[in-house]
Amino acid sequence: MAEHLILKNGVVFDPMNGIDGEVMDICISDGKIVEKAPANAKAVDLKGNAVMAGGVDPHSHIIGSKLNVARVTSPEVNRHHPYPATSKTRSGVAGIIPSSFATGFLYSAMGYTTVVEPALPATKALGSWEEIEDIPGLDIGLLPLFCNSMITFKYVEEGDIGGLAAYIAWTLKKVGGLGVKVVNPGGTYAWAYGKNVCGLDDEVPEWDVTPRSIMTGIAQAVQDLGLPHQMHFHPTNLGRPGNVHTTMQQLDAIKSVKPSGKKKEVVHLTHMAFDCLGVVEEGMANWKDVASGGLIFADYYNKNKHFTTDLGQITFGQSMTMTGDGPFQHSLYLLTGGKAKWSNIPVDVELPGGAGIVPFTFEPKSPANAVQWVGSLEFALSIKDLWRLFLSTDHPNGGPFLKYPLLISWLMSKRQRDIWLEMVHKFAVERSTIANIEREYSLNDIAITTRAAPAKILGMDKTKGHLGVGADADVAVYGFNPEKTDLGKNPDLILKHFAQAQFTFKGGVQVSKNGIVAKQIHSRVHTTHPKLNEALSARIDRELEEMMSKWFSHSFSNYPVPARYREHLEIPRVIDSTSVQA
Amino acid sequence: MTEVGNTFKDIVCTFCGCLCDDIIIEVDGEKIVKNTNGCAISKERFVGHMENRCLQPTVKGNPVTLEKAIQRAVEIIASSKRLLIYGLSSTENDAQREAYRLAEITGSVVDNTTSVCHGPTILGAQESGETTAALAEVRHRADLVIYWGANPAAAHPRHIPHYIRQPGEYIKDPKKDRQIWLVDVRETTTTRMVDRFLKINPATDLEVIQTLRALIRGTKLDVTEVGGIDIKELEEIATAMKTAKYGVLFFGLGLTQSWGRHRNIDAAIRLIQDLNAHTKWGLMPMRGHYNVSGANKTSTWVTGYPYAIDFARGYPRFSPGEYTAVDMLARGEPDAMLNIAADPVAHFPRAAVAHLASIPVINIDPKFNMTSQLAEVNIPAAIAGIECDGAATRMDGLPLYLKKVIDPPDGVIPDRDILRMMIKSLEKVMK
Amino acid sequence: MSSGSVKVIVTSGRTLNQGRAMEKGKITQDYEDAVALCEMGSTTMEALGIENGDTVIVKTGLGKINVKAKLNKNLPEGMAFIPCGPYFNYLLDSYTQCTGMPGFKSLEVTITAARGAKIQTVEELTQKMKEGI
Repeated sequence: MAEHLILKNGVVFDPMNGIDGEVMDICISDGKIVEKAPANAKAVDLKGNAVMAGGVDPHSHIIGSKLNVARVTSPEVNRHHPYPATSKTRSGVAGIIPSSFATGFLYSAMGYTTVVEPALPATKALGSWEEIEDIPGLDIGLLPLFCNSMITFKYVEEGDIGGLAAYIAWTLKKVGGLGVKVVNPGGTYAWAYGKNVCGLDDEVPEWDVTPRSIMTGIAQAVQDLGLPHQMHFHPTNLGRPGNVHTTMQQLDAIKSVKPSGKKKEVVHLTHMAFDCLGVVEEGMANWKDVASGGLIFADYYNKNKHFTTDLGQITFGQSMTMTGDGPFQHSLYLLTGGKAKWSNIPVDVELPGGAGIVPFTFEPKSPANAVQWVGSLEFALSIKDLWRLFLSTDHPNGGPFLKYPLLISWLMSKRQRDIWLEMVHKFAVERSTIANIEREYSLNDIAITTRAAPAKILGMDKTKGHLGVGADADVAVYGFNPEKTDLGKNPDLILKHFAQAQFTFKGGVQVSKNGIVAKQIHSRVHTTHPKLNEALSARIDRELEEMMSKWFSHSFSNYPVPARYREHLEIPRVIDSTSVQA
Repeated sequence: MTEVGNTFKDIVCTFCGCLCDDIIIEVDGEKIVKNTNGCAISKERFVGHMENRCLQPTVKGNPVTLEKAIQRAVEIIASSKRLLIYGLSSTENDAQREAYRLAEITGSVVDNTTSVCHGPTILGAQESGETTAALAEVRHRADLVIYWGANPAAAHPRHIPHYIRQPGEYIKDPKKDRQIWLVDVRETTTTRMVDRFLKINPATDLEVIQTLRALIRGTKLDVTEVGGIDIKELEEIATAMKTAKYGVLFFGLGLTQSWGRHRNIDAAIRLIQDLNAHTKWGLMPMRGHYNVSGANKTSTWVTGYPYAIDFARGYPRFSPGEYTAVDMLARGEPDAMLNIAADPVAHFPRAAVAHLASIPVINIDPKFNMTSQLAEVNIPAAIAGIECDGAATRMDGLPLYLKKVIDPPDGVIPDRDILRMMIKSLEKVMK
Repeated sequence: MSSGSVKVIVTSGRTLNQGRAMEKGKITQDYEDAVALCEMGSTTMEALGIENGDTVIVKTGLGKINVKAKLNKNLPEGMAFIPCGPYFNYLLDSYTQCTGMPGFKSLEVTITAARGAKIQTVEELTQKMKEGI
């Protein structure tokens, strides 16, 4: 392990520090980027290579029981994708749902170094920590779900945002969460009754709460605590034609939330490709009339600054849909005529009704799929501020994360888009403006949307997403010369180079070369520990013991993840939340 | 750990897949003297943890040091061409993870006891998905609970009293507001605990399930009875299932091991999926060994597959019926076996045992069992959840932390440490 | 029924005693007592002319084994039950229909009365399998 390194002569893209394609040296010491490396530093000549911070992916389902259910019910998605062991690295499978070791290696090979699992049922957190033991080479975060929990409902019903914030703080500490996830608030709960919600003010069975009161309550609690990452939000009506309008209504509702002051964004709308479907003029809200909602949503995005988003791009071919949105997954199963393998996983009180899993193939020739594909691309190519966007496929929903190079090629290359527009159903052209869009993302734009912006959105931009002094020495080197290569004209080169980084350094350790991982290192887990004032802390301990003892099927004392599974992996970030009143 | 003097509270019982975690264990010096809240089997497990113990490593029946036993085990493993690693369901997750590592570096087959309990459940789910349930949700909401081919009174003694016949948030009176039914081919001790017993003819589960599916879909059937049950009664059952507010189907080995095997489960899953067009239903396998769910889980995240895995090519391949332990042994394929926390000699059919008896066997278990009588190498292990910590998974997927309440006997170490010693030694030998 | 033998379907499964004994330890009298038995209804017992606790020989195409008869009034005619364990498995073939799972739940057997005949201990049974008998 080289303790000190100088990466020399690379062409650096580091938008957070205003560096756009400059030849410069990066000095690394003890896992950090430093001003000047010690004299004994090992030099690596990167002349003619592009250098960026390690990729940051805040939304990729890589951990948890839903992945195992998908692997178990669909071994066919992995059988033809073996990942052999080497003398230094473990084996696995590398299909749609890679096994744990392969997941880490495949990310390393692409130059990614930080990945967040965006749907953790907190009761199952122990299992997630165990899994991370077997996912190498990454910095990882977990976002517990709070949206369909009876405990949340109790506090929201009483208008007790302090209590709600304390419950969130307690959970983040006890199970090791980074931030807060909300999925179809009220809807997944209603699924325990075989129902769903769709309007902002729909009733939720048994409780005096609504999707509006839940989403605004949680978003406010997150701000009151001062969490680094705003509420990570999967809205109601996912995957319904015309939902771009209800999504904008929901974002409007969340505008009432007061920012903590550290950041102006109060919500992160995730996988917009699934949330922003339009319909043709005079059309009905059904798949026959679906149109791109990309332009409508881009306009809303350009005018409203209180939220961030990611694409959730669909990439065609086999995928595996998995969300904490039980009723949506059931509707997708019905859409297949009841033929698909539908799985549903309720997780006690934190996710009554439960998450769902349905294998799905996005077909280029399907009019609906082609329109959904084009909508998010149209959006990404029509917005002004890229700092509120990151690229994602909502792995494995829109397709596996292995398709990121393909997504980058669509954004960077008009030529690539034209090739694909020939292959997909004509509605992609007819029901969007894509054919007229000339814009091509630059390498700087890609560096923003795959590193800098996601790090900022996560609130981890002090150490992630850039190459300035003090950053973690997570570095991706791509084997093309940006000064001599026209990627826009050569989309195949995008696919080649972004699939296999020339080098990936994680914390200053070279983990892969030419896309081949030869080093297996433990991942680390970033968590947030909000510090509450004593009165609130005492109150929440008491109230949660009472509620969990009543509502959970296991003992209150067995809820936290024990230190022995955490301490060697965890990097806790203590934040001062003592101003939240009891 | 909640510890009052020598009393441990909220201890997880490591007998069956219920993983009841309200057990109170009292320790007096070096002995567990009392188990409060546990079922009869749980009491036997904790209070009787020192009974029938294997305390000394042996090779060919001769007492040896732990190091010598490991050395012989490694010789057997290194010289074998086709090692079968089996068991793993009555141990904690870390031991399982080490077993996969051992399988990978030796190019072996690794299978867990799932292949002879709920393997067909997994095969059924591969056809149809898995529409599961969670125990708290069932307690709070289920107004109709059906056990099918399961005998919880014998195999999961607290399943009904601890999880099901309990009031919930929306089921105030578990006797009045919740119906518990049982479907089986014979009356069992569970029969006395339920509100309704439906006796079906042996080997007719698939027919009865498919009939219910047809009736739920509104199809009229021109028959008078199916599986020994009058069609009128089946119609009434179908209606009751459709009109329940929240139903759950718990199924046992009566469905997975009987005629039809995975086809029964496939049909049961489809039945539950069909019912979700009308109301809310889920189903859950009654997992037997306390951590067989964990074995599936760890195996799946590490290898991509839940059981029956071959590493001969340097990566995991999955083929139930081929790499499952009974099939491997019955075809005479393994030339050595490493058995961890299971007793195949007691639980496998005769031809499989006959081959096992003809090859060198390394057996890791806390107690003497039938496999230890045949094994060339026996290595005693600490009991997870009593003498060492670990993690395990409940039948509904909930992970729980297992605490240590007492020291293991002198010189006895956890399964995971035994396996780590073997791996370390093998890595030297194989270099 | 002068032949003193009956043909029935045997199913195997868990019992509380088997579970407790297994937890205590396999090489115990408790375990043998819990699993070396065959439950049958009164009609079957009468047909065999035996009483509760008598030894019976249970036989399949694969072999035969002695176990203790136990009255279980709830078992219908034509069905018997042996707790899961080595005595049942001694009679069971290993064919899994390529699923991994043997047919633990329905085995056609012939039961013959053998009052007073010895029942092998668990250790003896293991020894027998070791010798490949």
